[in-house]
Amino acid sequence: MIDIIFNLLMIFLIITAFFIVFSKNISHSVITLPIFGAILVVIFVILQAPGVALAEAVMTAGLTTVFFVITINKTKD
Amino acid sequence: MNRTNEILKNLYKIGLVVMLAIFLLSIFYEMHNLDSDRKRYLSEHYISEGVQETGAINLVASVLYDYRGFDTLGEVTVILTAAAILSFLVPIRKAAILSNTFTIIVDQTIKWMIPFLAVLGGYLILFGHLSPGGSFVGGVVLAIIPILLTIAYGVEISEYKFKPSKKKLIEDIGAVGFILLGFLGVLTGSNFLASGQANFGIGNAGELISARLIPYLNVMIGIKVGAGLAIIFNSLIKEK
Repeated sequence: MIDIIFNLLMIFLIITAFFIVFSKNISHSVITLPIFGAILVVIFVILQAPGVALAEAVMTAGLTTVFFVITINKTKD
Repeated sequence: MNRTNEILKNLYKIGLVVMLAIFLLSIFYEMHNLDSDRKRYLSEHYISEGVQETGAINLVASVLYDYRGFDTLGEVTVILTAAAILSFLVPIRKAAILSNTFTIIVDQTIKWMIPFLAVLGGYLILFGHLSPGGSFVGGVVLAIIPILLTIAYGVEISEYKFKPSKKKLIEDIGAVGFILLGFLGVLTGSNFLASGQANFGIGNAGELISARLIPYLNVMIGIKVGAGLAIIFNSLIKEK
């Protein structure tokens, strides 16, 4: 059962990564980045690495998204 | 004609990404990290002897602050340099407050969230050698508090609550304190930043005051990363 979930999460990871790279709208890419990070957090927890999962959650979902959103807001005009 | 050209261009991009993925996967298999028939002396040593030698249950903390203390010093220097250059280069001017109109729900949510964030950050820093997490993550959680204040209420309220001069003072205390704690290793007759080989009381592994220098180094790195990231964010948001 856990193998099926793990492989499914890996497929979702590839889908979100392709969406981030090939999306035309830049804000869609930036908002997809925390989804990528959240899937990666679940994968790290399945692989029994809680420290890395915590770092990933805080950095990607929290800090990096805020920085990117502020940067896009500053550069739009 | 134009349409087929477009499709070919997209296929070319996707092909490049797939080729890169196959290349990286073959490199990972070539490095023999995925199979277990090789002897890995250093990681075996860290895993089997790390708790006895350093007293830290969290093996990542034992590697970061004891075996590889110099690397952590380098990371600290990078963040200190980045924060110093940003606060030096970005001109100080009146900030343009983000034009968001928030309701009472956002206001009350932020007021209720901030104490929990502070407790979580403090826990992650203080128990960095016992549980997953560590000082870097704890520092980032502490830095979320001024960032949240800045986004919700504007940069003026945030800098009124957390003065920039005090943040710089805290960051300097963290950076200098890390180096001074490193010199404790020299005073006890060993190398710089050596806590495993020096003659400190190790305590019982699993208690809060144990693992020699690692908890104090954790505190220093935590306040340093938190103050540094808050300075970087506020400097960048003030830039026009």
